[in-house]
Amino acid sequence: MPSSISSSRHPAIIYAKVLFGVCLALIVSFEFLSDYLLKHHSETYTRVSRQYADALQVRPAKPGEPMSVLMVGNSLLMEGIDVDRLQKLTSSQLHIHPIFLEATGYYDWLYALQRLFREGSRPQVVVLGVGVNSFLSNGVRQDYAPLLFFDLKDAANVASDLNLDNTAKSNLLLAHSSVFWDTRSVIRMQILRHTVPHCRRLFLLLKPQSATPPPPEFAAIANPRLQKLRELCAAYGAKLIILVPPTPSSEDAVHQMTLAARRAGVETLVPVDPAVLSAHYYQPDEIHLNSEGAAIFTVALARYLPRQLAHESMVSPN
Amino acid sequence: MLFDSPAFFLFLIPVVFLYWRMNHRAQNIFLLLASYFFYGWWDWRFLALMIASTTVDFLIAQKIAPDRLNPHRRKWFVFSLVLNFTILGIFKYFDFFAGSFAGMLNNLGLHNIPLPLIRIILPPGISFYTFQEVAYIVDVYKGRIEASRSFFDYGLFISLFAHLIAGPIQRPGHLLPQTQKERTFDPDRFFDGLMLIFSGLIRKCIIADNCALLVNAAFGGQLGPPNLWVVLIGTYGFAWQVYGDFSGYSDIARGCAQLLGFHFMVNFRQPFLAHRLQDFWRRWHISLSTWLRDYLYTPLGGSRFGEWKTARNLFVTMVLAGLWHGANWTFVIFGAIHGIVLPVDRFFFPTKTKQASDTVATRPTGFFTLWAQRILTFNILCLSLAFFRATSLHSAVEFLAGLSNFAWRPEYASAFFMLCLFSVPLFLADLHLEATGQEYPFANASYPFRTALGACALVALALFSGSNLNAFVYFQF
Repeated sequence: MPSSISSSRHPAIIYAKVLFGVCLALIVSFEFLSDYLLKHHSETYTRVSRQYADALQVRPAKPGEPMSVLMVGNSLLMEGIDVDRLQKLTSSQLHIHPIFLEATGYYDWLYALQRLFREGSRPQVVVLGVGVNSFLSNGVRQDYAPLLFFDLKDAANVASDLNLDNTAKSNLLLAHSSVFWDTRSVIRMQILRHTVPHCRRLFLLLKPQSATPPPPEFAAIANPRLQKLRELCAAYGAKLIILVPPTPSSEDAVHQMTLAARRAGVETLVPVDPAVLSAHYYQPDEIHLNSEGAAIFTVALARYLPRQLAHESMVSPN
Repeated sequence: MLFDSPAFFLFLIPVVFLYWRMNHRAQNIFLLLASYFFYGWWDWRFLALMIASTTVDFLIAQKIAPDRLNPHRRKWFVFSLVLNFTILGIFKYFDFFAGSFAGMLNNLGLHNIPLPLIRIILPPGISFYTFQEVAYIVDVYKGRIEASRSFFDYGLFISLFAHLIAGPIQRPGHLLPQTQKERTFDPDRFFDGLMLIFSGLIRKCIIADNCALLVNAAFGGQLGPPNLWVVLIGTYGFAWQVYGDFSGYSDIARGCAQLLGFHFMVNFRQPFLAHRLQDFWRRWHISLSTWLRDYLYTPLGGSRFGEWKTARNLFVTMVLAGLWHGANWTFVIFGAIHGIVLPVDRFFFPTKTKQASDTVATRPTGFFTLWAQRILTFNILCLSLAFFRATSLHSAVEFLAGLSNFAWRPEYASAFFMLCLFSVPLFLADLHLEATGQEYPFANASYPFRTALGACALVALALFSGSNLNAFVYFQF
């Protein structure tokens, strides 16, 4: 005899069904509301989706035109580069198309670049700048990135690359498919920002900081990543440059990164030696450049990036 | 499959729906297969270990019941215990003891002595299901329960997904008969099950996960070098994190069990309202503390042979309880602190004895005395939790050494505010539950009110549970 649910008219069952229905309705509402808020009120979404759409239109420059450069990176570039000024300073030689998304690392940009190339973007130069630790980190940004950078297959591949367990994998796939699931941490952050005094300063502190691994481990992680990026760019006729923005006490990491890139046949650009910049040029979080630091970095980048590309075009038959 | 992941609910809803459309035998087979799928979702390789372990204990139990008159029953019993603890020891403790031994040799000047390390990932829930298997074997051997004749009934007792990974540790005398008898659908308990799941999600996703942000920063050094304020944020925050996390898990487990017509024992009863450490262990992880009492402390002699032996038994029990949590000296010290404080507590505040193994801490009558004792108990607990949370003894000591430093940063005020924002609601809920004796807040309210409460809980979860999924703290044990 099946164990029948004979008491379907019992108030508990009626209200359990009501609760189930309300939950479903709420979940659907959250999805629509998140989609609306994202598209109409999220500065990050608006900025990155606009930059992404712009990057899709990038094509190789015709003779006499400035070289097309796709510049991608995280908050180190977003805070450290005055894009308008950089564009102005290099306008005769370069046409720079930036996409900057905070808290992103190697895997975010590997898959973002793959997708951009797949969808038709053809820059002549790709400049990637995420800082050494983010380049070596194993992870992807759990909000925005799955929605903006990955398609469903990418999300599955990211999960596989990161050896995510089935639960984490299903969450990543859901973050790609559901705006609410993708942006729920953004929603929470906005609420906390209005609830907890000086929340922004607190959350800058709460970010976990990873230590740079020792040289053998560093090379073992960085080399295959650099090669993979180089091969990806080369397959679409683009040249890869790893831009290393300054962070405090990162001299050794920058040195190791330069060595690893040289071994992988990838060019690096270090416009400002981190040892030269004192704490005065950093924000209170002691990671990001402040406006004065950004001005120095922007000018240095404007000076060295075209020079490096010009040097390359002189020595390279292409 | 984590209880707070969408994947779990995509699993749970069809399981509950199909389950109640089957007869009793089919229900057990279906639930056993569903539980194996749930477990295999982590790693299919560990499923084989669990099934093998379950099967061996099922077969041994047939040979060791007192009525079997098997001359070798004692040997089989010992073999089963040795086997269970060997499996647990190899997977959980081998590398720890090998590493500690190597460290000791190193300190004695014997360097570079190669010791094998197996570096195996800990199978999820192994500590929990091993304890259930041991309890079953002991109870069958002692004649407290009959050996199960059906593998499906026994397998379900061990593997039911609701308790499989992090308890509550179910006692054979309580859960096994439930798997053997036909379960009837109780609409009220079904609705209570739903509410317990909401309660658990709030505790885990809102309270524990948000406190975890502060705790990770305090212990990880992002809040600066340890000082009084960082230690307070770290230890108080971790107390609420681990409580929200584990009591949340237990609520969801109990809620799921009730959706399926089972009843699990209560695992937490407002532990931070304990006025003594002894009282705390009657309220915290009750399924573990009663297991340790019945299968370790009492067989050791309990409190029957004078104060010194009682103190020794308490110390041994608490150290092993600490070690049960993880293969690290930090857990041993955590247990040792409790093992020392509990006998001291008994000595200065004698208890009323109901039975030899069951003593009741006398509750103070005065309001201020009661709250002073509660605050003292909470702070002793927080002190021991610094060892529980730290990754090594050195880092725990270094962290606590910060208590003598009072350097203040403005961000600490925000951190304390955030800690209060997420811990005070749980504290108030606990006061309400303590006063009313209910299982979850407003458990006796009308159905429309509780339905609205469930909807509000979902809205709160949508707004505040945004941190990336953190595994439940007790999953690592």
